[in-house]
Amino acid sequence: MRRRLLIGIALMFMTLFLAIPLLTVFAQALARGAAAYLAAITEPAALSAIKLTLTVAAISVPVNLVFGVAAAWAIAKFNFRGKSTLITLIDLPFAISPVIAGLMFILLFGTNGWFGGFLRTHHIHVVFAVPGIVLATIFVTFPFIARELIPVMQSQGNDDEETALSLGATGWQTFWRVTLPNIRWGLLYGVLLCNARAMGEFGAVSVVSGHVRGLTNTMPLHVEILYNDYNYTAAFAVASLLALLALLTLAGKSFLEWRQPELRRTGHARQRPKGGKR
Amino acid sequence: MSIELRGVSKQFGEFAAVENINLDVPTGTLMALLGPSGCGKTTLLRLIAGLEIPDEGQVLFDGQDATLWSVGERKVGFVFQNYALFRHMTVYENVAFGLKVKGRRERPTAAAIRSKVHSLLELVQLGWAHDRFPAQLSGGQRQRIALARAMAVDPQVLLLDEPFGALDSQVRHELRRWLRRLHDELHFTSIIVTHDQQEAIEVADTVAVLNRGHIEQTGIPGEIYDLPRSAFVHRFLGQVNELPVRVRDGRAYIGPLDIGAAAETLKGKGENIALIRPHEIEIGPPSANWPGTLVAVRVIGPIVRLEICADGQPIHEPLEAEISRERFEAERFSVGQKVGLRLRRWQVYERGTRPHNDTI
Repeated sequence: MRRRLLIGIALMFMTLFLAIPLLTVFAQALARGAAAYLAAITEPAALSAIKLTLTVAAISVPVNLVFGVAAAWAIAKFNFRGKSTLITLIDLPFAISPVIAGLMFILLFGTNGWFGGFLRTHHIHVVFAVPGIVLATIFVTFPFIARELIPVMQSQGNDDEETALSLGATGWQTFWRVTLPNIRWGLLYGVLLCNARAMGEFGAVSVVSGHVRGLTNTMPLHVEILYNDYNYTAAFAVASLLALLALLTLAGKSFLEWRQPELRRTGHARQRPKGGKR
Repeated sequence: MSIELRGVSKQFGEFAAVENINLDVPTGTLMALLGPSGCGKTTLLRLIAGLEIPDEGQVLFDGQDATLWSVGERKVGFVFQNYALFRHMTVYENVAFGLKVKGRRERPTAAAIRSKVHSLLELVQLGWAHDRFPAQLSGGQRQRIALARAMAVDPQVLLLDEPFGALDSQVRHELRRWLRRLHDELHFTSIIVTHDQQEAIEVADTVAVLNRGHIEQTGIPGEIYDLPRSAFVHRFLGQVNELPVRVRDGRAYIGPLDIGAAAETLKGKGENIALIRPHEIEIGPPSANWPGTLVAVRVIGPIVRLEICADGQPIHEPLEAEISRERFEAERFSVGQKVGLRLRRWQVYERGTRPHNDTI
C-alpha cells in the first residue's frame, strides 16, 4: 500500500513537472498545423541557428572528449602535486552560474578585456562571434566527460595497463587496446551528456553571442528571440527540435544503460578492439 | 636469467617501503618473498618487474644493470592477484595479446600465433575455453589464463604477486602444485610474493622473509622453519607459544622453573622470551616437574590441539600443544585433566630487539 502511494506520488510529480511541459512544447509547436511548423524551422534564421548549434556541439564535444580523457587519466592513474586542485577546477563550471562563465569570457576577450587590444589589432573576433560561443560552451560542458570517467578509471586501477606494458605493448597500444575498451561505456555516456548540454546551453552563450540573427544565434537563443517577439508557434517549433534532440540523447543513454549490464553478464563485446582479428 | 638486487631502497612519500635490500635469485630457482601485509614484498616484486624505479641501488638481470630498463624491456611475466585479464577480450585474445602487440618485424605469423596460443591453453588445461570471456570463468581458471598470457611472450622470469590469494584453499593447493610442476618443466626463474607461510614452504626453493622493508632471513624452507634467526621469523613461520624467561648463569627459567641451558650472549636479563612451537611441547603424566591443566581440546584432522594452563602461566594465556590423533585416541585426554609438561625444543630471544609486528 505504502509502496503504491510512493510510486503514485513519484509518477504524478513526473507527469506534472516533466511530461506535461514537454507535451505542451510539441502541442504549441503544431498548434497552427504542420505547414506553419515546417515554415518556422526552415526559415533562414532558424536554419542558421540549427547549423550553428550543431557546429558548436561538433567542436566542443570532441575537444572535451580529448581533454576529459586526459584529465581523468591523469587524476585516476597518477599521483602528483596539485591533483586535488585539478579535481576542484574540473568542478568549477558546475559550481558557477553559466552567466558568470559568459561574463568571464567578455572580461578576457571583450573590447575592454585583458586580451581585447591584442585581438582588435589582429582583427580576431572572439566575443559576439562564433569563437566566443564555442569557448563558452567548452567551458560549461568540460566536467561531463572527466567526471564520468574518473570513478570508472579509479575503480579499474592500473593492473590492466601494467600487464599490457609487461607483455611488451607500447603506451599507445596500451591506451587503444586496453584502456579505451575498458572505459568506452563511461566515455559514451559522458559524450552524450556533454553533447546534450552543448546544444542546450543558454546562459553563458547568451552573454557572449551578442544575438546577431543569422550569425551568432544558437537554437536556445533563437527560441528566446522568437518568444520575445510573441511569435509563439515559431518559438515552440524550434524548441520542439531542441527537445527532440534532448529526447534522442536520453534514448541513447537508456539504450546504453540497457545494453551495459547484459554486456557485463555474458561478456559479449560488440566491438572488438582494432587488431583483435588479423 | 638470474636476478640480483644491490642495496635497493624505495620510498613512498615519508614511508620507506623497502630499505637497502640485497637479494640473489639464481637462474631457475623459485623464490618466495614472504611477509605480512605492508612489509614491502609487493614493492620489491614491482621493483624487479620495472613497475617501480628504485630510489637507490641496482637491479641486475644476468649481471647486467637493468635498473632503468622499462617494463617491456625486462621481458618478465607478471601475474597479479586479481588476474588483471582484459575483460573485453576472449581468453584466446588475452593470451595472444603479447604476441600481437609486437613490432612488425618480431611478430610471429598469424598461424604461428594461433598454434602457440592453443598450445599454451592446452598447457594450462583450458583449451576448451578459448572463446569464453574472463567473466565466464572461475577464479582458478582465470589465474591459469593470466599465467598462460604471461608465458606467451617467453619471459625469462615469472613474477607472481599473491597469485592465489583470492582463491579458496582447495583450489589454491591444487594451483600451487601445478605451478611447481610447471616451473620444474619449463626452468624459468620465478619469484612469488605471498603472506601465506604454508604456500611459501610448499612451493618455493628459497624463501626470503620480509619485515618492515627489510629482509629478515633467506634460506631453504626447512631451514627457515627450524632455525629462525629472529623472533619475527619464528612467529611468522607458524604457531608459537610465547613465554617470558629469565636467563641466569646460562640457564633459562620460567618463574622458578629451570627449563634448560640458554646462550649466555643474550642481553637484557629477565627481559627475554622463549618461543616454542605447539609440537615441541611434550605432554606427560602429572608426575613431571612442570604441572598443568588441560583446558580445551580441538581435533583438527590428523592432529589434536590441546590448550593447557601451566603453573606459573597467567590463566588467560594457555599454552598450545599438538599431538597426533593416534596418541590422543590411545591416551584419552579430557578437559580438566592434570598433565605434566616438558619442552622438547625452544628458542630464547631478546625481547624488543625487533619491534613486534601487529599483523601477526
